Amino acid sequence: MLLDFDKLGGLKPFLIGLTALVCLFLILPIVFIAALSFGSSQWLIFPPPSWTFKWYQMLFADPRWLWSALTSLKIAAIVTVLSVILGFLAALGLNRGSFAGREALRALFLTPMILPVVVLAVALYALFLQLGLAGTTVGFIIAHLLIALPFSIISIGNALEGFDKSIEDAAILCGASPWEARIRVTVPAVSHGIFAAAIFSFLASWDEVVLAIFMASPTLQTLPVKIWATLRQDLTPVIAAASTILIAFTILLMVLAALFRKGRKA
Amino acid sequence: MVLSATTDGGERKIRRNGSFGYVVPALLLIAFFFIIPVLMLLMRSVLEPTPGLQNYQELLGSTTYLRVFLNTFTVAGLVTVVAVVIGFPVAWLLAIMPDKWSRLVMAIIVLSMWTNLLARTYAWMVLLQRTGVVNKMLMSLGIIDKPLALVNNLVGVTIGMTYIMLPFVILPLIGILKAIDPAILRAAALCGANKRQCFTRVLLPLSLPGIASGALMVFVMSLGYYVTPALLGGTSNMMLAELVAQFVQSLVNWGMGGAAALVLLLVTMVLYAIQLKFLNPNRAR
Amino acid sequence: MTQPFLSIQGIRKTYGQVTAVKNVSLDVAKGEFMTFLGPSGSGKSTTLYILAGFQDPTDGDILLNGQSLLSTPSHKRNIGMVFQRYTLFPHLTVGENVAFPLRIRRIGQAEITERVKKALKLVRLEGFEDRKPALMSGGQQQRVALARALVYNPPVLLMDEPLSALDKKLREEIQFEIRRIHQETGVTILYVTHDQEEALRLSDRIAVFSQGEIDQIGTGQELYANPATHFVAGFIGDSNFINAEVLSSADGKAKLALPGGTVIDGVPMHAGKAGGKSASLLLRPERLSLSGMQVANGLAVTINDITFLGNNIEVSTQTGNGESLSVRLPFGHEAISSISRGDQAWLSFEPKSTHAFA
Repeated sequence: MLLDFDKLGGLKPFLIGLTALVCLFLILPIVFIAALSFGSSQWLIFPPPSWTFKWYQMLFADPRWLWSALTSLKIAAIVTVLSVILGFLAALGLNRGSFAGREALRALFLTPMILPVVVLAVALYALFLQLGLAGTTVGFIIAHLLIALPFSIISIGNALEGFDKSIEDAAILCGASPWEARIRVTVPAVSHGIFAAAIFSFLASWDEVVLAIFMASPTLQTLPVKIWATLRQDLTPVIAAASTILIAFTILLMVLAALFRKGRKA
Repeated sequence: MVLSATTDGGERKIRRNGSFGYVVPALLLIAFFFIIPVLMLLMRSVLEPTPGLQNYQELLGSTTYLRVFLNTFTVAGLVTVVAVVIGFPVAWLLAIMPDKWSRLVMAIIVLSMWTNLLARTYAWMVLLQRTGVVNKMLMSLGIIDKPLALVNNLVGVTIGMTYIMLPFVILPLIGILKAIDPAILRAAALCGANKRQCFTRVLLPLSLPGIASGALMVFVMSLGYYVTPALLGGTSNMMLAELVAQFVQSLVNWGMGGAAALVLLLVTMVLYAIQLKFLNPNRAR
Repeated sequence: MTQPFLSIQGIRKTYGQVTAVKNVSLDVAKGEFMTFLGPSGSGKSTTLYILAGFQDPTDGDILLNGQSLLSTPSHKRNIGMVFQRYTLFPHLTVGENVAFPLRIRRIGQAEITERVKKALKLVRLEGFEDRKPALMSGGQQQRVALARALVYNPPVLLMDEPLSALDKKLREEIQFEIRRIHQETGVTILYVTHDQEEALRLSDRIAVFSQGEIDQIGTGQELYANPATHFVAGFIGDSNFINAEVLSSADGKAKLALPGGTVIDGVPMHAGKAGGKSASLLLRPERLSLSGMQVANGLAVTINDITFLGNNIEVSTQTGNGESLSVRLPFGHEAISSISRGDQAWLSFEPKSTHAFA
């Protein structure tokens, strides 16, 4: 009865009320930021005395914002490609292989995801200082690849789990070479996993703050580093404007993902 | 016939033995840029400035650092308790409510989860500041006379972190609760159990492994969090991840930084091991 | 009339536009084994769920000993139930599962121990107290569920297709156990199933559900010999239906013309609308006789196939206008030796023993 929605009785208003409050708690900060980004108050008074686009104008007038966004985009794009390729190969190996220590290897690959990022950041920073990779694009890519890769391995691994390998064998018996079969049969069959891997990898890099703070140099900053540095000085509404653009971008990604899922079902 | 059978068998064998090759690129990446740097950092913690365990002695022996540990565990514990107490009823409702409503709530949860961490933290910095909306609302409702200090202290950190961790409690719990057959609760009711008894004697025990697993995950994630405590917390309420960063960035003390990182790493790993061994929801059920 | 033990009065249940139960009324005597038989979606389970209090009826009432049950929540109805799915509490041992209703009722430990032991003995699972449900077979789990449902001596036991997840052999074994337990305890049982054989084997009376209504209530024999509707005729026992033309009908008896021109008289007519032109005639396969030679008032058919089924033989035939009829003959019937596939043959029957449905 406790799991029958229509028979909850007095619990129903309680649960619905609490859930509504939690929804408000989760959505309000996002709505506030979007609203304040159009408000005229420098001190982020709510409700704003009047509405304005000036924070967006300031945002776009400062080339460092645009530059850091482009840097983020470039790094995230490269990380996404590498993460999907390495992730596909690793997932294939873990899924198909029968070598010893397979489970231990899987656990090892997923460790960067559960480890406190700050530990990884400090350790990599020390290494990169010695290798001369600190403050370079390559350093950024390696760091972000480490935390993006687990998402790829999980997403593609799950998709491979649901894929019957004998279909690939059938393609080989039809005359395809193993790699041809893999690319023409397996890759399309697990495309939803690859798509998920790409989205998660991109977001993992695009939103990453901690590693980026350590990897950044005055000349090489990603968007989160730029926001972080600005935040440490003051709470200027320009950040609200930047955040709103990021939120819009997130919603776009969610809609894309939803459409993709719908398309797959139809 | 015979020939084709042999090639097929041979092909299979090569593929099976060769499948280790697929993991090599990822393995090299992990080895060079994860295992080696972490080991190197740990080496430095016992070698710098002079070989020995003095870094650990200082870290675990001084009250300054002890307060950091205390702060870290307090915030992580508080966040976990609040997130579970609020998250469980929400997950419960989401598991049983009609699809069209649960989809809306899920969209809100996912949106908040996918929104840039800094954007979310910035939002709370603005909302919780002295002249922020939360203080204004509390004052206009007559609950308080003058603004409360909600940022630059552990209150702010706890609110901001709870906001971030709630989805991590709710989402796995939905799956756990959906896996419980409603007929079991109906059987309990017909056996004479009222709602409270059904909850405490059946629903709660059945979801406890999932709750414990989710709670431990949130606790561990909270222990190592850096960004939110650094922005919403005050300098006098430092947490462990901040301490690690501070040793390295401001103090350039790699020995102490490495030691603090090892402690954080060790606590995390031990808790994860407990999670895998005892609280794996697939095993407990 | 004495007051019935359990009385279901005009129950109706709608979900928005959909009507799950149209109008169900039924009285059950104390100690009776009553089965709700019907296909899925016929409203039998919904009726049971309303009895259990999992759903509220849109209309109607349920009286137990003359008292309405509807305002009583499930946990106070004191009704026992065994479900289609396994509903043992997975975190409790078998003993604690059976003890659960007693603990809720705050009964002393000594008595609990004794009653749990007795209940497990009743379902022949003595000594299983410390097992976890996950380590038991499906049949064992359902027997524990039965013990849990009976341990607090409920006046009524509901069973919602409790054996549908089990294989055939196990099902028959537990059917036998359920009969024995019914006899030993004297509990009133309401049993839902879509399996006519199960219903016939277990029940004192059967209520046949179709499209949210009860078509007929009666003993298995009554339903077989005197089906009230076309649906009941088709659902209980094996049946053939052929179309016939109604020539005249009076006093519940009809005169019918069969395809091929044969006219029969005195056929019991059901739900006949006056002046109805055509009717469906029920012919039970085991009540048809078959002859290789023309018989008076026989129905001419062609033999399609002859199948040996052990103790009897099934003959598939076809009438002149293409309707299929199957005939069941005892092993060694004389007609078998004289006919083969493709032959012409004649079916004959007693008009009184058939039924026509308009």
